[in-house]
Amino acid sequence: MELSGLISNLALGFSVAVSLQNLIWCLAGALIGTAIGVLPGIGPVATMALLLPATYALPADGALIMLAGIYYGAQYGGSTTAILVNLPGESSSVVTCLDGYQMARQGRAGSALAIAALGSFFAGSVATVAIAVAAPPLTKLAQQFQPADYFSLMVLGLVASIVLAHGSVIKALGMIFLGMLLGLVGTDVNTGNARYTFEIGELFDGIGFVPLTMGLFGIAEIIANLTNAERRDLVSSKVSSLWPSRDELKRSVAPVLRGTVLGGLLGILPGGGAVLASFSSYTLEKKISKTPEKFGTGMVEGVAGPESANNAAAQTSFIPMLTLGIPSNAVMAMMIGGMMMHGIAPGPQVMQQRPELFWGMIASMWIGNLMLVVLNLPLIGIWVRLLLVPYRLLSIAILFFCCIGVYSLNNSANEVLFIAVFGLLGYVLMRLGCEPAPLIMGFLLGPMMETYMRRAMLLARGDANVFIERPLSLAFLVLTGLLLLFIVLPSVGRAREVAFKE
Amino acid sequence: MRIRCTQDLATGLLFISIGLAALWFGADLSLGTALRPGTGVLPRILAWCLIATGALLGVKSLMTDGPGLGDWAWRPLIMITLATIAFALTIDRFGLVVAMLSSMTLAALGTPETGWREYAIFAAFMLLLGVGMFVWGLGMPVTILPKAWPWS
Repeated sequence: MELSGLISNLALGFSVAVSLQNLIWCLAGALIGTAIGVLPGIGPVATMALLLPATYALPADGALIMLAGIYYGAQYGGSTTAILVNLPGESSSVVTCLDGYQMARQGRAGSALAIAALGSFFAGSVATVAIAVAAPPLTKLAQQFQPADYFSLMVLGLVASIVLAHGSVIKALGMIFLGMLLGLVGTDVNTGNARYTFEIGELFDGIGFVPLTMGLFGIAEIIANLTNAERRDLVSSKVSSLWPSRDELKRSVAPVLRGTVLGGLLGILPGGGAVLASFSSYTLEKKISKTPEKFGTGMVEGVAGPESANNAAAQTSFIPMLTLGIPSNAVMAMMIGGMMMHGIAPGPQVMQQRPELFWGMIASMWIGNLMLVVLNLPLIGIWVRLLLVPYRLLSIAILFFCCIGVYSLNNSANEVLFIAVFGLLGYVLMRLGCEPAPLIMGFLLGPMMETYMRRAMLLARGDANVFIERPLSLAFLVLTGLLLLFIVLPSVGRAREVAFKE
Repeated sequence: MRIRCTQDLATGLLFISIGLAALWFGADLSLGTALRPGTGVLPRILAWCLIATGALLGVKSLMTDGPGLGDWAWRPLIMITLATIAFALTIDRFGLVVAMLSSMTLAALGTPETGWREYAIFAAFMLLLGVGMFVWGLGMPVTILPKAWPWS
């Protein structure tokens, strides 16, 4: 890919992203995303599920720019909560709690927050360029994919997401099947027959993505959080100097660089993304540190590395989503849900048919990250005050926004009933130790896989060998087999446990 | 034979029952031919996969130790679910104010920590926000007050 092409693509992107409207959507997304992401227990996926209806009325590019803004805003809000209150808003900021909260207790909350923000910004900038460089050739590659290849790639993606997800492998597998079953509900596009619709009008188009995610993530989360007795040890309402000391800055440089590279690479993997990146980065920093025993007592490296890594991964996980149209984790599944709501079929054709949308979104990622640094540090005081609103009131407000949000989509009271059902299901699954993320992946990928399978079979005149005769498809399936073998080996299972416990 | 992980066992039973339900309700979906697979092929495959996964979990629950079911948050679970249902059932017929009041009050009953004076102020604020933002601001096509009082 020549440099001039890269520059002209980015120029196109920035010309879209800096239009006043898109700047406003980006800003609104980043701010609202942070505001909700700050609330303990509400991670990026739940935040996006809550706010998805709000983007419904916008034009497609504005909606996607805002959704992306919500995503990194929520992630940034999560780290703020982790540092100030020791409550991870989401799983990727669990490690930020370890050293970030200790720093805050020593009166260095300001520098922890600033380093997290600056590290994230640096990582985000690098990752944005990485996307711009990697997307065109990958898209070109993806255009040679035939239905059989897509099918096998999706199988690989689903299996890989199990390996890299935390929690029980068997349960994750079951959740994928359950998600795919839920995805089948509605009219079968190939035959026109209805499946599992029970004569309910709203179900003929399938289960809505918004009611499903809002129930599983939003309502279930409210129920779970209301149980936990309130324990918020806010360090101190005043955050001292925001500027890290020269020494802290110097110690952060290397971890930020390492975190960016590590996170950027892990973000592309299916099922990877922010969580895996921050855990791996923390482990790496601890391993190469001269004083590993000091980790957990307020080491700035333990904040700088993981925070950069999770932001880099958050950005690069857009790569498979944008070029192949395949979500690699639950957040990207939400992005695809948002695209489909606006009638955009995700896939390699998006870059050709809607270049302004594609590059505008990439450019807005960088702008959104910049906004987070410039705006959020001064706004810390407001976020802290938001943390002081008791959960008994917050939960009521969140419940109301869920109900009205879903209702506003189609003015359908039945869809509000769906979120009650999915909320119940989500809470039960949560208590049973089943992660909802694989379910969402299965829900989105299931129908796509069915379509590609049918197409492949039709092209091959009913010969199922097509999946092993095409070299690409075969390669994906072999990789899937190896991964499955990998899961079954008990030693890997133990390594996985250790990796996720640390 | 002893159950060593009730959590896994319960998950397994849940998966199996959902799988069986999918088979039962999808029994009349056609299977088609190999060249043109019918509507019923994938549902059956997935249902059996889910049942197999559930069975595997059931076996595992007898062989390896693991967590039990723990304490369930029955009160919030019931009240939040009821609150959502209340919103759905009232919004079309009685308008936004009734829907909000009924669902918010049910949700407030979900935790013993609710103080009623505090709740009253908060509810008034939310009503103003709800009506102001969604009906007046965004122009949502929803009535604010019941068109006809239910008892008239």
